[in-house]
Amino acid sequence: MSAKIQRLGEVDRIIHEPARLMVVALLAAVKEADFQYLHQSTGLTKGNLSVHLSKLEEAGYIAIQKTFRGKYPLTICRLTDLGREVFANYRKVIRAAL
Amino acid sequence: MQNSSSLPRLDDPNVLAQRLIQKAHNQDGLPEIVMGITWLLISGLIYAQFALPHGSIGFKIAVLTLAIFGPALILGTPAALKWVRRRYFIERVGYVQHKPAGRKQIGFGILGVVLVAGVLFGVVPRLSRPDGWLLAGTGVFGGAIVALGGRLPRFLVNGALMAATGMILACSGVSLDRGFAILYGFEGVVCLVSGGVVCLRFMRQPLETGE
Repeated sequence: MSAKIQRLGEVDRIIHEPARLMVVALLAAVKEADFQYLHQSTGLTKGNLSVHLSKLEEAGYIAIQKTFRGKYPLTICRLTDLGREVFANYRKVIRAAL
Repeated sequence: MQNSSSLPRLDDPNVLAQRLIQKAHNQDGLPEIVMGITWLLISGLIYAQFALPHGSIGFKIAVLTLAIFGPALILGTPAALKWVRRRYFIERVGYVQHKPAGRKQIGFGILGVVLVAGVLFGVVPRLSRPDGWLLAGTGVFGGAIVALGGRLPRFLVNGALMAATGMILACSGVSLDRGFAILYGFEGVVCLVSGGVVCLRFMRQPLETGE
């Protein structure tokens, strides 16, 4: 087995989960987005999305800020520097192995 | 809605993210409505230039408005779209702040403008029947941008219709100004209709509240 494929074992398991990978990929492509936007664009249920966001926040990969825009409550999510670094590393490992 | 076990393949997360962003951008039909209004305004101003007597006040206003506000209308559509969305649709579409355009995107944009200008001023005038080529080229090029930019079936149909209209107008021998007025007017109506239908369907969806 080549060393590159063996490195697949090192991929970050928090990001590797498909729904979380989708959320992280989306947040990596934008500056910031709120819960409703992530819900609409990923197609995940609100409960499912909420759980995945909590896990990403616990890991320190995303930062969540609760605020308001007029009467509309905004739960704004953005990727942290650590999240960006882990995501970039994840992509590098996957690309090298596949 | 889908759960995490039925997600599409994630070969390249960035490609997937761009597709999701594009889909979210077009889900409410607003981009098409704004584009439709813009095309109809431009078409109306072009029409006014050959319908009104040359030198009349209306003619001068139409020429000046098109020259000054035409580019502003096209460049201003993203800002108008953002404002309308944040003002009236935020509860449905959510809030997103996109990254500013990178050097690569700006470079491609400038290259595109230079290429189009080169073809427009360097190649087209040397062809026989340049008016026809210009109409056909605008239809095909515009249709390709619409189809590739939207990446959804309705945009493919919209782009194909624009390309076909451009080619039909080119073959019909219609004058350039009339041809552009018809092409942009037709494209404006198509955008307005498809965007309007999508927007109505989107607004009819029940609004989910809570997280």
